[in-house]
Amino acid sequence: MSDLRIYGLEAWTELLKVLRLPAYALPTIGFPAIFYVLFALALGGRQASGTSVGTYMLATYGAFGVMGASLFGFGVSLAIERAQGWLLLKRSMPAPPGAWIVGKLAVSLAFSLAVVVVLSTLGVLFGHVRMPLGTWVPLVAVLVAGALPFSAFGLALGYLLGPNSAPAVVNLIYLPMAFFSGMWVPIEMLPNVMKQVALCLPAYHFAQLALAIVGAGRGGPAWSHVLFLVGFTLFSVALALFAYRRDEGVTFG
Amino acid sequence: MRQRMLEGALGAVGIVLMIAGIVAHQRALTAPPGRQASARQVVPAAPPRAFAIVDARVFDGTSVIDRATVLVESGKIKAIGPQVEVPEGFAVVNAYGKTLLPGLIDAHTHAYEDALQRAIVFGVTTEIDMFTDARFAATQRSEQARGVVTTRADLVSAGTLATAPGGHGTEYGIAIPTLTRPDEAQAFVDARVAEGSDFIKIIYDDAASYGLKLPALSRETMNAVVAAAHRRGKLVMVHVSTSQAAREAIDAGADGLAHIVADVASDKALMALMQLHHSFVVPTLTVIASSAGDTAAARVLAAEPVLSTYVSATERRTLNAAFPSRLRASHGLQNASALVGDLRRAGVPILAGTDAPNPGTAHGLSIHQELQLLVNAGLSPVEALAAATSVPAGIFKLSDRGRINVGLRADLVLVDGDPTRTITDTRRIATVWKGGVVVERPVPKATAAAPVQTHGLVSEFEADTTAAFGAGWQISTDKIMGGTSEASMRIVPGGASGSRGSLEVTGGIKPGSMYAWAGPMFFAGPTPMAPVDLSRFKSLTFWTKGDGGTYRVLMFATSLGRIPAEQTFTAGPQWREVVMPIAGFGPQVNGSDLQAFLFSGGQGQTSFRFQIDDVRFR
Repeated sequence: MSDLRIYGLEAWTELLKVLRLPAYALPTIGFPAIFYVLFALALGGRQASGTSVGTYMLATYGAFGVMGASLFGFGVSLAIERAQGWLLLKRSMPAPPGAWIVGKLAVSLAFSLAVVVVLSTLGVLFGHVRMPLGTWVPLVAVLVAGALPFSAFGLALGYLLGPNSAPAVVNLIYLPMAFFSGMWVPIEMLPNVMKQVALCLPAYHFAQLALAIVGAGRGGPAWSHVLFLVGFTLFSVALALFAYRRDEGVTFG
Repeated sequence: MRQRMLEGALGAVGIVLMIAGIVAHQRALTAPPGRQASARQVVPAAPPRAFAIVDARVFDGTSVIDRATVLVESGKIKAIGPQVEVPEGFAVVNAYGKTLLPGLIDAHTHAYEDALQRAIVFGVTTEIDMFTDARFAATQRSEQARGVVTTRADLVSAGTLATAPGGHGTEYGIAIPTLTRPDEAQAFVDARVAEGSDFIKIIYDDAASYGLKLPALSRETMNAVVAAAHRRGKLVMVHVSTSQAAREAIDAGADGLAHIVADVASDKALMALMQLHHSFVVPTLTVIASSAGDTAAARVLAAEPVLSTYVSATERRTLNAAFPSRLRASHGLQNASALVGDLRRAGVPILAGTDAPNPGTAHGLSIHQELQLLVNAGLSPVEALAAATSVPAGIFKLSDRGRINVGLRADLVLVDGDPTRTITDTRRIATVWKGGVVVERPVPKATAAAPVQTHGLVSEFEADTTAAFGAGWQISTDKIMGGTSEASMRIVPGGASGSRGSLEVTGGIKPGSMYAWAGPMFFAGPTPMAPVDLSRFKSLTFWTKGDGGTYRVLMFATSLGRIPAEQTFTAGPQWREVVMPIAGFGPQVNGSDLQAFLFSGGQGQTSFRFQIDDVRFR
């Protein structure tokens, strides 16, 4: 069996697993969709900045959904599988040692795409979201690519957290960060102090990058957000390596 | 060891990149606006005064589009349609559930003072004025010539009207030129054209239908003025009040009637003439209703919750005011409505006009009542809306307004609901734009009635006319309204229940005034006519005796406007206590805004005498 086929199979079985265990699939797609319907489509009027609420929140709730898919897909599932000894078992399998990472990354990307497609469909059908193709494609691409930094961060969390604390801790990071980054309500509506704090949050830069594409960003060059997210990815990978090393020490040391 | 170094290096680079990202973003956010704009290519600068009204039901002046977007830029309509995209930088007005109308046109008003500023508050963006001070009209015209005036309705005016010396139109205190003979017609019209009149208005009415006999133009002179105006290319409006006069005016070639008539319920000949001459009519059902004594509709309008917020105290008074009873037309709204219905079926153009600010009307406000009366008379809501938008714009050649079309002026009214089905929804105004600028709609400050410290006692009349509160007693008579009635008051010994003194009132009511009165008036507020809140009292009580006549208590309250409400009492030979429930003064009177009350002789009592004592609220 070629390595490529192994990676493919790993991704496919991982995907089958999360589809068959709706504890991940349902909330990952359901929550952003419900929030988007409630806050953007049902309650939202029009805002006067030239971008409709439906479009604005498609960017922010899309980013919110992608972030959730990655943090939970990596962080929580890794913490649980680690505790179950599943990863240990995998080492004895005739497969490259990191194949499961590719599998999980594939799931994160697939679910990110799914979230974006569901929200876009809702927006088009019920929110009068209309954008030229030249805006749609970059928006979807940026949102899905956003799975990378948060998957890396999820990887680190998965190695740092225990199976019982992982869901709680990930939620404690995920939900407040989403709020303070202006993913639920526009950042302009938050107090000034929070706007300053938001500058240090990866979710903020992710959301601003998506908003910049629909013409509703706060301004500033888009590369500043990319720079931050690349840095955040590297930092997360470093953190994951450190946590992995610590975990190995606990298991084998 | 190598892994640790890798971790450290990766982490350090990551943190550096994150900080660099934050700094770059932060600098762009705090850059001066000019630099920020250049750094921010995504959003182009908004064009001046550009906005989009999206998801509105649109009545474009003739027909209804269920859901459309209207783009406005630089005061003009840039695009309209269901598929219109909102360009970048346009502010968005969500109009879902609302209806966008062209700015309303009131085709019969008399504008002066702040009329045009008031009209626009209620969605009227153009007034077609049928007679005002020519200098006032000239001032407005020159303002409008300099550019779109966004703070008031535009004025299109006849300026000075054509009437006979002493005829209708001369009674308003403006000295105006008049004419008597056909050979004066051309000079008269040319003088109006020189003054700037946009069209010519003629009075062809001796006021007989109002029970008066005023001098009026002869038929020949009227004919000559119509011809003279047409020679100068001016449209001619004629004021008539009988179907006979209406036929003569149309026969003379008049373009439009300034009122519908109300002396007959059907006039086939008039209908045929108007069809033949392609003439139009401004029915002014609002003022016809009011002059027939029906002010109920005006009161409803003033109390309409959405509009009433914006109604000023002055407007409330004119709305509640009635025409003097002897001026009241004997024929009412029914005839007028029937004629309007016939003319509509005959295809005669109908224009919405109110004749504001006559009693029972108010600038701007009354157009909403006129629209409803037109629908009652048989117009569909859409036809009524056209009568206040595209139809008058077409007839008066106001080609830049009256419709929502690309290139036209953005005079717009956004209302809640759907007036194309429910005409009264025009009253639910959300926003008014004039030339693409949102019109500020000031909410008049309520002159709240002050509560007053009292146990209810007004005066015991023991030794003098002092009162426990308020601005005291004073004789008031109809002399201020041109009457000749008289009254006097004095303290006399001997009062009710054996008290020391009482107030004796003597006087006489002389015929000749519409509202005759004479007697002592008590001002309840700290200054005369200031309202006070006495709503915790249920009744006004006093003791009285007198010559056996039936006398009146007139109650003044701000909610009543200028016209007091009254109850009567009889003053017999023995002292007797009279208890008048406050509610007995009418449904509008609840005591919360009482200004004054007055004990008056009755109509026709040329000599009267009565005493009152121990006046109190209870």
